[in-house]
Amino acid sequence: MAKAQLKNGPKSNPKVQHKEESESLKGTMASVMFLGFFIIVTWLGVYFLFVDRF
Amino acid sequence: MPSINSTIKVDSRDAKLSMAHFYVAFAALAIGGLMGLLQTLVRSGKFELPGGIGYYQVLTVHGVLLGLVLTTFFIMGFQHAAVSRTAGTHSDKARLTGWIGFWVMTLGTVMAAAMVLMNKATVLYTFYAPLQAHWIFYLGLTFVVVGSWIDGIAQIMTYAKWKKNNPGKPGPLLSFMAVINTVLWIICTIGVAAEVLFQLLPWSLGLIDRVDVLVSRTLFWYFGHPLVYFWLLPAYMAWYVVIPKVIGGKIFSDSLARLSFILFLLFSIPVGFHHQLTEPGIDPAWKFIQVILTFLVIIPSLMTAFAMFATFESAGRAKGAKGMFGWVKKLPWNDARFTVPFIGMAAFIPAGAGGIINASNQMDQVVHNTIWITGHFHLTLATSVVLTFFGISYWLIPHLTGRKLTKKMNKLALIQAWVWFIGMAFMSGSMHAEGLLGAPRRSAFSTYMGAKQAAEWIPYQIAQAVGGTILFIGIILILIIFINLAFFAPKGEEEFPVGEQAENAEATPMVLENWKLWIGISIVLILFAYTIPFIDMIQNAPIGSKGFKTW
Repeated sequence: MAKAQLKNGPKSNPKVQHKEESESLKGTMASVMFLGFFIIVTWLGVYFLFVDRF
Repeated sequence: MPSINSTIKVDSRDAKLSMAHFYVAFAALAIGGLMGLLQTLVRSGKFELPGGIGYYQVLTVHGVLLGLVLTTFFIMGFQHAAVSRTAGTHSDKARLTGWIGFWVMTLGTVMAAAMVLMNKATVLYTFYAPLQAHWIFYLGLTFVVVGSWIDGIAQIMTYAKWKKNNPGKPGPLLSFMAVINTVLWIICTIGVAAEVLFQLLPWSLGLIDRVDVLVSRTLFWYFGHPLVYFWLLPAYMAWYVVIPKVIGGKIFSDSLARLSFILFLLFSIPVGFHHQLTEPGIDPAWKFIQVILTFLVIIPSLMTAFAMFATFESAGRAKGAKGMFGWVKKLPWNDARFTVPFIGMAAFIPAGAGGIINASNQMDQVVHNTIWITGHFHLTLATSVVLTFFGISYWLIPHLTGRKLTKKMNKLALIQAWVWFIGMAFMSGSMHAEGLLGAPRRSAFSTYMGAKQAAEWIPYQIAQAVGGTILFIGIILILIIFINLAFFAPKGEEEFPVGEQAENAEATPMVLENWKLWIGISIVLILFAYTIPFIDMIQNAPIGSKGFKTW
């Protein structure tokens, strides 16, 4: 499995910082959070429609 | 993973077998797509079908050709190519088996299609009893299923040969996935085969007078839900293995991909009751248990979403992308092999969210049997899956026919995908909205004797006709591209892209290839979820229903 490194290693070392940037998965983290949020919002939308109608 | 690239080009004899499947698949797309256009026009209330052709007959042609024929033929054609490319050329015996499977499926398709066209089988693609079709229709469907088993066995033979020649190694990822999908298909089609052979065929032949509707529908949905995953997994094969190579990246994790396929095998079958939540005669406790199992299927779907984002981000960062979303700009947006399936992936976000709503017991009462459901599977099947199949075709068809995807065709393919996206946004979007307002699915145009509620639905139906018309333009474009790639594109070599794992990846655990274990757990789950409900249904069976022909 590809090893993701989020926040480790000394900040002062530019080499490590570059490595951190090139292996970061923070965009993936943000994307899956958006996905989860979208699922919850749509689910709740229809849930309240159900509560309203039945 | 040196095994992945053991064969670079699909052998020309295997290529012919794959192409035979694709000719039938795209012919089905042409006719089925036209029927879809006619349906949306009729439902707008502005058009009527000429010559007394019935709406429901057109609907049956559309559903059978696109839901059953296009998918099964495309998938089998793709899987033959995928196995031949990654596990090695079919032996003569395996190839012959594949051809027998192809011809049995084709014969079955002709039989079923003839009955539908003669208006002897206007039973829609779910062929629910007590609607009763001509027995040749049911026999034809049996041949399609049996043919697909034979086709799948050919793929398993070649995979088994690879495993025998490479003991102790995990099989090539793409072949492993094709075999999981074939195993899933064989296990689930046993349900529909039982329904047809023991109930519908003897009943339509007049050997028995009545049929147990609940048992037949339960057997159908034992098959019907994994059918959805049988469509989806080949798209996932392309997402996990092909797309990383196309974008110049690596497979994020071979193990994660295999585990997600195994979870689909385990959790996509014992869940059919979530299609029958409103049905009487099934104990609510068992509905609840199957809803829980349905929700477990969300796990591999979310794993797939994560793996896709991670693949894109890793590839983008390896090319020097900075910031939170800089990697998005590094993706090859001008390459149809990427962008077309990508639109399919994006469509799976609302499609998946809708699926979770459908499977939630109470909320199913809001959407059940409404056109929301039709909107839902036009996002899953008719966008996510179909656009990925189109994206596969753009490299696979020229690869198999020894031709090249030209720049012009690549551009047309991109236009096709955006046309599809716009058409589907209109059609599926308005189906979802109209469904929430209570409009039924599987219904021709009606004002329901001037009902106020039905009048509210009409603007959405007009939007569907607009969307359907745009989608039909999309069908014409894809057919132009298919014919070009099959017969007219310049000769050359088109790559069959197969991704590789990152260098620092860990070895794939062999437990993921323990077929006895996973098939065993799958069977245990099925027996757990279905045994007691089936005993209940049979012990408390009503006298059954005679056949109805409503057309």
